[in-house]
Amino acid sequence: MAEASPILSLKSVRKMFGAHAAVDSIDLDIAEGEFFTIVGPSGSGKTTMLRMLAGMDTPTSGDILLRGERINDLPANKRPTCMVFQSLALFPHRTVGQNIEFPLKIRGEVPESRKARALQLMDLLRLPQSYYAKNVLKCSGGERQRVALARALAYDPQILFFDEPLSAIDYKLRKTLEKELKDIHRETKKTFVYITHSLEEAMVMSDRIGVMRAGKLVQVGTPHQIYSAPNTRFVSEFVGDVNVLPVSLDTDGRLHSRLTGARLKPPPVPEGFSEGHLVIRPEFLRFLAKAADADNAVSGRLYNEYVLGSRIQYQVRVGEGVFAVEKLRQQAFTGKLDDDVIIGWDAKDAILVTD
Amino acid sequence: METRGQRFRHSLVTVWTLAVLVFLYLPTICITLASLTASRYFQFPINKWGLDWWQKTFSSIEIRQLLSTSITIALCVTAIAVTIAFFGALAFARYEWKGRSIYQKLILLPIFFPQSVLGLALLLWFNTLGFSLSWQTAVFAHLVWIIPVVTLVISIQVYSFDPALEEAAFDLGATRWQVLKEVTLPVLFPGLFSGALFAFLLSWGNFPLSLFTTGADTTVPEYLYAKMVAGYTPGVPVLGTVSTVGAAILLIGGYGAILAMRRAKAVE
Amino acid sequence: MRLSQGGKSAIPVVLFLIVGFAAPLLAVIWFSFMPPRSFSFGGAPTLENYATIFQGTNYISFLWSLSLAVTAVALLALVCYPVAYGLVRVFGKWAMLLTLLFTIPLFVSENIRLYGWVLFLIKNGVLLGTLKSMFGLQLESILFSLPAIILGMVYVYLPFMLFPMTLGISMVPNETRDAAFDLGASRWQVFKEVELPLSMPGVVIGFLLTFVLAIGAIAEAKVLGGQRVIPITHDIEIAFTYSQNWPLGAALSVLLMLVVGVLVLLALRRFDLDTFLGRR
Repeated sequence: MAEASPILSLKSVRKMFGAHAAVDSIDLDIAEGEFFTIVGPSGSGKTTMLRMLAGMDTPTSGDILLRGERINDLPANKRPTCMVFQSLALFPHRTVGQNIEFPLKIRGEVPESRKARALQLMDLLRLPQSYYAKNVLKCSGGERQRVALARALAYDPQILFFDEPLSAIDYKLRKTLEKELKDIHRETKKTFVYITHSLEEAMVMSDRIGVMRAGKLVQVGTPHQIYSAPNTRFVSEFVGDVNVLPVSLDTDGRLHSRLTGARLKPPPVPEGFSEGHLVIRPEFLRFLAKAADADNAVSGRLYNEYVLGSRIQYQVRVGEGVFAVEKLRQQAFTGKLDDDVIIGWDAKDAILVTD
Repeated sequence: METRGQRFRHSLVTVWTLAVLVFLYLPTICITLASLTASRYFQFPINKWGLDWWQKTFSSIEIRQLLSTSITIALCVTAIAVTIAFFGALAFARYEWKGRSIYQKLILLPIFFPQSVLGLALLLWFNTLGFSLSWQTAVFAHLVWIIPVVTLVISIQVYSFDPALEEAAFDLGATRWQVLKEVTLPVLFPGLFSGALFAFLLSWGNFPLSLFTTGADTTVPEYLYAKMVAGYTPGVPVLGTVSTVGAAILLIGGYGAILAMRRAKAVE
Repeated sequence: MRLSQGGKSAIPVVLFLIVGFAAPLLAVIWFSFMPPRSFSFGGAPTLENYATIFQGTNYISFLWSLSLAVTAVALLALVCYPVAYGLVRVFGKWAMLLTLLFTIPLFVSENIRLYGWVLFLIKNGVLLGTLKSMFGLQLESILFSLPAIILGMVYVYLPFMLFPMTLGISMVPNETRDAAFDLGASRWQVFKEVELPLSMPGVVIGFLLTFVLAIGAIAEAKVLGGQRVIPITHDIEIAFTYSQNWPLGAALSVLLMLVVGVLVLLALRRFDLDTFLGRR
């Protein structure tokens, strides 16, 4: 995907704050028209990275290439890229229309063409035309979001950056806006680079995701790859609930779990693996009638259950450990709390990670 | 942002700021120099240095009287202003009430008012009421200007006060008085302290209000003014230096105390 | 009528300001309608004092005060903006210390500080004495001249412009500036389109405060101007003291109050103090 000719390339980009590397030797290619999301917890360096890409910070070392041209020292106002900020940074002293027209005004366009373009963008973002003269401060959260995006699009950037713009919005509206954003991406065919701390949000929208931790990119891949084949415990734990068992590889090729004492049949073992974690997503765990019904089984006690909308999650206590098991509502488990249960999974549904 | 241009701009701003600081402290330096001369009249460069005038000034009974008048006024103003302004600040920033927006603007009026005119207006007012002028009327006059200032200073702290703290204390069974003593006052203390500092120093340095309202009593700024206009002695720069250094010590010491309090709290 | 908690808390301040501020001003207004040279409120109201003022030469003092104030405010804006900008955006952890340094002179009586300028500028003073002894230069002192008065005003009222401005500039969010920059604005366009309009509340307060203080200034002209220029406050003081014509002084005060009051009310009318002081 990124092989053809990347619109944006990072070559061992590093940013130091004193002795601390906020962004540490990152290599990355982003393809034309891609929706690329960088995910990481706060402090992982993702905002610093985005600020360098947008031209508001310069890397300490390494190169940033836009269509093959080095843009390290090109300031933000000269870069053909544009950012939607976390706070949105709408100009509070301007109307919706004036906000959207700002980059056009800066460019010296005449008022008539500015207005025409602004109204066109408002249409695209489903903002009523009557909002043209509305004070931005009087707009709702979702409307402001659209104004900010319209303003960035008015700049006609080659790449649009997003700095967690949805983080302050309530759940329901966020879900709607995530989909809207993906639609806008499809509509405009521009390259979107998005950062967020929510892998869930990233999954919904992105073509590819890069997971960041302590200034480094830990894994880059499609949402599917990130979900089903995380390369570290860190990545696996980043989305939803997950069962992580510390395990070591025995000489006979089986895994030994210290927590439950069980000996388990492993998924394909990476070369050189001796100790690490076994990762099993809750939906791959099943309640068993007898231990032989799955490759691996442990017995425990049903401690509690949580209704998560379309799914139900069960907490099963096994020795010192706790397992989360998820079922679709239609396939809800019929056991009662404090029942003794056997849970199990097939070897192929688990993943072994070293870190 | 553009780093080179920015660095250049930043050094310009720094140089300019330092120049303004020098401008601000130049007269103070001159005053201090003048206080260190041994001769009767000021001439620069100074040919005879000495602390004679410091000694003379401090042994003068008249000057002790001045200092005591100024300090008495400033202390009275501080006590009254902080008490009234504390409630004033609660009304300004803590509570939502009907007249608040008008009240907030009314409070500003005495600050946005020429002080010399205010002094004369008060002179006329005291005269009308038949009060004879003394340091007590000066306290009243200072308060007219200082209470609004202190109200604003304390308000800034009150804005960052979370009303839920008081509600939580009520909810936990505290009485109105206990809430004030255990929650509101301790949390707002830094603001009250700054307010007291402002009240004291503004009263200590005030001239235009004192001029028309002290009657027979004289404050340090009044004395200095009288001597400047007629009858310069090197006692003028001596007192001036004392005033300046005193204010600086009080202010730096005060802010040091606030910082220390904050740090102590952070350590707990 | 039952008062709310806020209303109750406001009572002490409001009562005090009624007795200590509103009443004296009303007394002044009333007095301005008393017959000339009277010392009581008992006389029959008359417009004579105002007539005297409009026929006399007081307007010259008024114009002096106005033009001095306007000049001082304009100069202060130029002097203070870079410093305020620096305090908010450049100096970082040093800003606190610098702010303190800018605050200290505020608490020293302006007379003393102005007198420092006299010592600096006077013949054989710090400036001319140094020039003479080190370079053999003999220069005229600018003391007791118009520039000296303006210098004094700029000097005395500097903190009153600086601090509101600083507060104003600190109200401009970093991201908003970055956004304008990112949308293609040049350094100057960011300033013109975003920074200046958003810091306007602070700038306006600074203008207002320094203007009001400067138009009521009296010491600068006396100490540094050597009575070269007579400001209106001086006229008022003379009327109250030497010429013992309180009604005339009161009438002059009323006119000054009118100018100041109209200006302050106009500027503060649409001003939200909550956002300015509390940053809510």
